[in-house]
Amino acid sequence: MELLKRVISGRFLLGALSICAVLLAYSYATSQPDNNPALLPPLKDIVGSFFTNIRAGTLFDALGASLFRIVLGFLIGTTLAVVIGCLVGWYKPIEYLIDPLIEAIRPIPPLAYIPIIIIWFGIEEFSRVLLISIACFMVCVVNVIAGMKNVPQVYVDAASTMGATRFQVFRTVAIPAATPFIITGYRIALAAAWTTLVAAELIAAPSGLGYMLQEGRRYFLTDQVMMIIAIIGTCAFVMDRAFRPIQKRLMVWSEMRE
Amino acid sequence: MSEIIVENLTHTFGKGTSEALTVLEDINLTFAPESFTAIVGTSGCGKSTLLKMMAGLYAPSDGRITLNGVTIKGTGRERGMVFQQDAVFPWMTVARNISYGPRLRGAGSKACAEIEKKWIELVGLQGFENRWPRELSGGMRKRVDIGRVYANDPDVLLMDEPFGALDAQTKERMQSDLQQLWQVTGKTAVFVTHDLEEAIFLADQVVVLSARPGRVHHTEMISLPRPRSAEMRLSEELLAIKRKLWHLLEH
Repeated sequence: MELLKRVISGRFLLGALSICAVLLAYSYATSQPDNNPALLPPLKDIVGSFFTNIRAGTLFDALGASLFRIVLGFLIGTTLAVVIGCLVGWYKPIEYLIDPLIEAIRPIPPLAYIPIIIIWFGIEEFSRVLLISIACFMVCVVNVIAGMKNVPQVYVDAASTMGATRFQVFRTVAIPAATPFIITGYRIALAAAWTTLVAAELIAAPSGLGYMLQEGRRYFLTDQVMMIIAIIGTCAFVMDRAFRPIQKRLMVWSEMRE
Repeated sequence: MSEIIVENLTHTFGKGTSEALTVLEDINLTFAPESFTAIVGTSGCGKSTLLKMMAGLYAPSDGRITLNGVTIKGTGRERGMVFQQDAVFPWMTVARNISYGPRLRGAGSKACAEIEKKWIELVGLQGFENRWPRELSGGMRKRVDIGRVYANDPDVLLMDEPFGALDAQTKERMQSDLQQLWQVTGKTAVFVTHDLEEAIFLADQVVVLSARPGRVHHTEMISLPRPRSAEMRLSEELLAIKRKLWHLLEH
């Protein structure tokens, strides 16, 4: 009884429970006699599509192409966001100079840049990485700036009364105090990278997961479409989880709840 | 041996605007070398503002404050400050907090270790060197705060109601320990509080400020012998001074 209680209250089990419930409901729906498998393919077809594409090598190619774009765009976008966000959030003249620009650009959805990027740079790898970088930058920089603005004044005062220069306060107080915000910025940027990637690949890509979705629609391969959706969800989930140990390590000092 | 002199200091927030508010008016005070001064007053009398001006966090709109004859301008390590709020850096362990100041000036790890050991012992935090501040009680975090400022070796120690958020028992222990620490190191100390007993127990000189705008209403010299024991809080001498100052505090 005790053991059962522990297993049931376990985090892993509860998480698996909700996923299983969705899968069960889905297979119940596909098993109805009037179900059209072209619209709602049964689970075994989706799994079948997965193995077919693995055997053909198409899935790994697509996954590789997409991951390459995500990782590169994410790294470029977030690195720029941290550097610029820290400077904007800390040094007033830089804030006055750049913040209005960021505020003006922020409401524009990154996908709105697709036409102009295609006109300027063509349907190239560079264009897609650029688009993902923009998306990551915009969501991340806002968090970094907020983090710098939320550095408690008393820490700044304490450091400066101990003789810290403005730059020393920036390095030893502002950046560590803003770390929770910066990490959140990274996580949101990762989600934005996936969103933008798929949209970009749907419109203009000869490869990648978004391309396979588009291909599935064109040739009416609903099982492939469903399979790719599941793959995207899984990848995004795994990548977000991979952040947790990093976050935990950087944030051992904080009182944040698990 | 550091002397602070406040000369003809007047401070008006938003000077020249329609919402100008004079918080301090015509303050003249002398803080003798190695003396302990407490500044008391009701809330809004500008006592914290005055202290922050000594720290260099604000500049007065008129008049000046000097340290050993040099006008104070901006913050500096020679004027350390303990704040009312919790100012311990949560992202550093207790030991790293203590040696923060020396490390700013490039002290090596060996020198830092010595400083950490010395001050952790003096503020009574042995065994907590590698703890995170979140694992400490409010009183212990205040000890880190005080140790950190002391380890930075300032000439002047400014304290802005440092024990305001602590419970009564912890507060009394902290006061006794602070007194001892101050006697050992002999720094010029300025302590802002609204607690009369605390002021009298700790200080050589108690300055009473009146409110809105803050002016020096009275200066009381405290000649109770040192070291002052906990029982002295209940002594007739202390209570007599407390009664006198209590009436002065515009009750």
